Amino acid sequence: MTRKGRGLFVFSFLAPAVTIYALFVVWPLIQAFGFSGFEWSGLSDKKSFVGAQNYRDLVHDDVFWRALRNNVTLLVGAGVVILILSLLIASAMQGQGKWLRVLRGVYLLPQSISLVVVAILWMFIFNPQFGLVNSALNALHLSKLTHTWLGDPNTALPSVAVAFVWYGAGFYIMLFSAAMRSMPAEVSEAAELDGARGLRRFFKVTWPMLWSVKRVAIVHLTIAVMNVFALVLLMTQGGPDRATESLLTYLYQKMQNSEMGYATTIAVANFAVVMIISLVILLIFRKDPQEARR
Amino acid sequence: MRSLTYAWIVAALAVVVVGCSPSDKGGSDSKKETAAAKSPAAPTGEKPTGELEVPAFKGGYDIDFYARAAGEFEQKNPGLKINVWGNPRVWEQLKPRMLSDDQPGLMFPGWDMDHWRLAYEGGLMTLDSALDSPAYNSTKKWRDTFDPKLLALGKLDGVQYVLPFYFNIEGWWYNPDQFKANGWTPPKTYDELLDLCEKIKAKGIAPITFQGKYPYYMIDGMLFPWAQSIGGIEAINDAQNLTPGAWKSPAILQAATMICELRDKGDFQNGAVGMSHTESQTQFVQGKAAMIPCGTWLKSEMSKEMPANTRIQFLVPPAVKGGKGDPTALIIGIEPWMVPSKGKNANAGIAFYKYMTSVEKAKEFVIQKGTLTAIIGSDDGVKLPDTLVEPARAFKATKTAYSTPFKDWYKDFEKEVENALTSMLNKQLTPQQFCDRCEEEAEKTRNKSSIPKHKVSQ
Repeated sequence: MTRKGRGLFVFSFLAPAVTIYALFVVWPLIQAFGFSGFEWSGLSDKKSFVGAQNYRDLVHDDVFWRALRNNVTLLVGAGVVILILSLLIASAMQGQGKWLRVLRGVYLLPQSISLVVVAILWMFIFNPQFGLVNSALNALHLSKLTHTWLGDPNTALPSVAVAFVWYGAGFYIMLFSAAMRSMPAEVSEAAELDGARGLRRFFKVTWPMLWSVKRVAIVHLTIAVMNVFALVLLMTQGGPDRATESLLTYLYQKMQNSEMGYATTIAVANFAVVMIISLVILLIFRKDPQEARR
Repeated sequence: MRSLTYAWIVAALAVVVVGCSPSDKGGSDSKKETAAAKSPAAPTGEKPTGELEVPAFKGGYDIDFYARAAGEFEQKNPGLKINVWGNPRVWEQLKPRMLSDDQPGLMFPGWDMDHWRLAYEGGLMTLDSALDSPAYNSTKKWRDTFDPKLLALGKLDGVQYVLPFYFNIEGWWYNPDQFKANGWTPPKTYDELLDLCEKIKAKGIAPITFQGKYPYYMIDGMLFPWAQSIGGIEAINDAQNLTPGAWKSPAILQAATMICELRDKGDFQNGAVGMSHTESQTQFVQGKAAMIPCGTWLKSEMSKEMPANTRIQFLVPPAVKGGKGDPTALIIGIEPWMVPSKGKNANAGIAFYKYMTSVEKAKEFVIQKGTLTAIIGSDDGVKLPDTLVEPARAFKATKTAYSTPFKDWYKDFEKEVENALTSMLNKQLTPQQFCDRCEEEAEKTRNKSSIPKHKVSQ
């Protein structure tokens, strides 16, 4: 194949995806920046240009900061738990046994369930009257610990975080499992011959060799947590009294309230926050120590 | 896939605005203009012909009735073709069309269409002249065929923009068999309610449950009814009109105090503050809680969860003895139909709606769907379902039927009232702090010039 022919070949494969991406992702994103400069209900063509006023309002908007804090709390809380849990489980599940294969499927199961079903499932689990959590506490004679998990501002966000961990961990278990299984067998054997076992082997051999996968996982997790929406909306509606409000549930509320200009301002701010956090993570993990050694 | 969530949200935003010209052709500041001046008047619906599109919200009552009515109306008007369509989220398809020239001649967009904002921005036709024209096959003015209390709820600042068809009444519910078996009497006053709650608790049943995740049920079910009962309708009007000090009025404060009294006496079901509407309503229909505040849609919403042979009965919220207000007062919610200002064949839209609101068709709707309509005489001689007999009686008996449009006019403010109510129920705010927070939020809304202000006069 000539160079030109090869170029055409590659272009023909890329063109549909790039076109769709440009049309439905890049162009709306550019438009969102434009709309954030307007006061606009989204119900008519009457728009007032307000310049940076929406951004000034956002800076002084307590709910925005509360939502951002909730997102970051989820990221630090649920995100770290997901990473540790998935690394531990993936590490424990190395091998080719039949049951290990079944277990891998089990851990991935929540990912195959609709998020709506996941939210309803956890609403049932946390139901104050007949939920699994309170029923279990009652059965264990720990009735004093029963609680209105999703109705109390002190427990609502941690409860949503538990549901998020349950839903999200499976994907990262799979990711780390696949990365661990793709490690060269001779490295593991050499480590074992040198007497590296258990935690020592994990920290000295497995952990460094997961470098690029860790980077992908953390960035992916950050985006997932910062964009948490359906789970919160269904489980708590962002309540009680904003205790679980996330940036996207707040954005949705503004869209419903016919404040489309302000909603797009939140969208742009969310985009900026996700980009900044992702870039910082990429910067921290920018160098693969394995590659650096070569 | 989840990493694309943000992109899809942005894409969804953009889809909504695609119909809007990027040239910002309406760049003038809409705040300085009155909607009424810019909204075209709807035609009177004479000699309908051509094609008419009627999108309708497909809720518990479906859209089959409208589709059948359309078929009949086509037969009566050769040359007229009506396309009735709908789904449970029809507003999502209609909102972007409000930005384009492709608008239906009549629509029932459902609860998430911000129709008051749409009207304010000139997006809806005014209906006063159409209402002054004759009703279907009648010499009567169309206006005179509607219950005036309900028709008035379709006005914004004195101009009629939306029309009612069926409507809901807010109140409380109880199970008459459960009450009879235990010798309980439905409470007419707050004092009777307090006594009754003690008797109910003695039987190991929660006296009251509520939809804590959606606190507006408590605004319509307790806060406003009791504030009205204490301070009269003026207390409610002032609160909705954001009159300075209205949210700190003695009426609102006492109503909030009463809610806290019930909370402190353990009269609310444990955990109700964290329950969704279906969770709490299921608790009620299963007999685990004796009473619940809800609208007349309760039975149709809970029909699947309701155990066989369970009966539920409507109750006007208990009044406060010695209060200034009307003890028979009711909160009403109409389900609005409207004509977009660029609606295609709006003449046929009005003609078809006149047909649908004729007393014969409205009566058919009451019989088939088991709900009340705004058309005078539509339930005369009709055997209403058991659950509707008492609401219908209460509606006919009341002198004070009011609605709560502030929830649609000032959505951010209403959300903050809900949040403050939740915090009060969670013992994080005292009644006074609740009122102070609501007043503070009301002041923010008052001072924000970008939010159009309206007045209720009911």
